[in-house]
Amino acid sequence: MTLASFLPLAIELGPQGFWWMNVLFLVAIYSLLGLSLNLINGYARMFSLGHHGFWAMGAYGAAWFTIQFHGHMPGVPLFLMSCVFAMGVAAVGGLLIGLPCLRLRGDYLAIATLGFGEIVRIAIQNSPREALGGSLGLEVPRVIMDVTRKTKADFRVLMVAIGFVLVALTAWAIRNYIRSARGRAMLAVAQDETAAGLLGINPVRSKVLAFVAASAVAGLAGAVYAHYQGIITPLEFNFMEMVKIFLIVVLGGLGSISGCVFAAFLLIFVEQWLAKLPADAGFFKDWWQVEYAAILVLLMIFRPRGIFGPREITDVWRDLKAKWAKKRSAA
Amino acid sequence: MLVLEGVDVYYGNIKALHGLSIKVDEGEIVTLIGSNGAGKTTTLRTISGLMSPRAGRITFQGREIGGERAERIVAQGIAHSPEGRRIFTDLTVRENLDMGAYLIHDKSAAKERLERVYTLFPRLKERASQSGGTLSGGEQQMLAIGRAMMSRPKLLLLDEPSLGIAPILVQEIFREIEQIRREDGTTILLVEQNAHMALKLADRGYVIETGRIVHEDEAGALLDDPKVREAYLG
Ligand SMILES: Nc1ncnc2c1ncn2[C@@H]1O[C@H](COP(=O)(O)OP(=O)(O)OP(=O)(O)O)[C@@H](O)[C@H]1O
Ligand SMILES: [Mg+2]
Repeated sequence: MTLASFLPLAIELGPQGFWWMNVLFLVAIYSLLGLSLNLINGYARMFSLGHHGFWAMGAYGAAWFTIQFHGHMPGVPLFLMSCVFAMGVAAVGGLLIGLPCLRLRGDYLAIATLGFGEIVRIAIQNSPREALGGSLGLEVPRVIMDVTRKTKADFRVLMVAIGFVLVALTAWAIRNYIRSARGRAMLAVAQDETAAGLLGINPVRSKVLAFVAASAVAGLAGAVYAHYQGIITPLEFNFMEMVKIFLIVVLGGLGSISGCVFAAFLLIFVEQWLAKLPADAGFFKDWWQVEYAAILVLLMIFRPRGIFGPREITDVWRDLKAKWAKKRSAA
Repeated sequence: MLVLEGVDVYYGNIKALHGLSIKVDEGEIVTLIGSNGAGKTTTLRTISGLMSPRAGRITFQGREIGGERAERIVAQGIAHSPEGRRIFTDLTVRENLDMGAYLIHDKSAAKERLERVYTLFPRLKERASQSGGTLSGGEQQMLAIGRAMMSRPKLLLLDEPSLGIAPILVQEIFREIEQIRREDGTTILLVEQNAHMALKLADRGYVIETGRIVHEDEAGALLDDPKVREAYLG
């Protein structure tokens, strides 16, 4: 059973469409990574630099699981179970690193998680070829549908859809969590641990919970990413990726959900667009990494609290409408 | 109700409390007065579990609580309104109060507590949806006390509720403290530098100097004591 039997899509995409589907898929992945890091660095005000490690754990967890059970299980359940497995692997990783570190002050956590992210990558790089593929990477069997020249477009569209459904679910879950008693307790701990403790909140438990939940979401992003790519290598999960996720959170505004998705779109679009320029595009092509960095620096100068600040895009829209209405009535 | 016997507390190697002993009986208002750095805040922090005593015993309602974590102690009925108020400035007044009821899982009981706090401090109700950081100092103090009252404590620890607040508001807050004891039956341990007001409100008082209790008596007697007058009532 594959999804292709349910979905006779036969979508036609030109090269332009293919490019766009890839961009959108990456936007979904980086949104998941940004939203989950935002839970740690934004709402809970901790400082983690190891999110790429949990992403990698999820990707390799899902790949490993899929390889093990490929052929023993129908494709769609295998896909779903590999995602759940990846979340579990990343969550356990989050618990193991979180329990000892979250008792420490902020900068220790940053250093410990940074080390963790690098250790994950190096461990995978040096793993035996038969286990995790070593530095050559792992091939992930196609399980949700056959990916041939004819169905390649369908596959991309399907993965983009899955990606954005997950983004929506994650955004919804985070929003509800923040409004729940536990979620508000997390915000209280972030502001004043001592005062929160005096009210009966266990600060360590609150932080570990946020950290583990965020790790699990990063793991889920990794799983979907692995299934999309079809082959994953350890070098993809390097520290530059952590920097990108971090920038998305900062640009999006600490604690803004829609800001985070918007920032992911901006960053990935600019990156992919600059990378796509033809080799002889001269200055633009040769210096694209510098230009990328320059755009970010400019954004941070003009919108230091993120594109929308800590607000949501709907709040910004409401304010703008009010402003326009005022102008019109004045005129 | 609360007994501290020979309690030693250290900050690293610095000894802050030297064999401190005090007791608070049910229904009392007891005040702990002393000058800067005497160890008043340290005493309250030790009772509420933010610090562990290295020697001595702390019992609450006959049960040893010394060294337990803060989250466990508040669950037993001791609420602490800390020095410097420490309200959550990014949360609204209402959310701050809700956090105070974190351990109350019964919704209607929590609602009842909220109504009670609003009756005690009507200003908090007016400002319910305002963020805590936008309140005046006096209102923040009301919020800190109100937040502590949300857990329906048997014993309320108050650390310098008069600090940095205009005299007229201080009087209002002290009236509410008296009302909390009278109407809620809450026992109160009040730490103050404003010794005059504290002794007028309290039943009994302790005078603390460099981590040791140097005087204890009925509040009225302390007010009349020439040595206390000279040192603390200027
Ligand atoms: N975090 C700390 N680290 C080291 N020493 C401390 C710390 N907090 C307080 N102390 C010391 O412990 C002693 C008692 O301090 P404490 O805060 O209990 O005094 P206090 O009576 O509350 O004074 P104040 O009226 O100024 O609030 C002081 O000598 C102080 O310097
Ligand atoms: Mg003090």
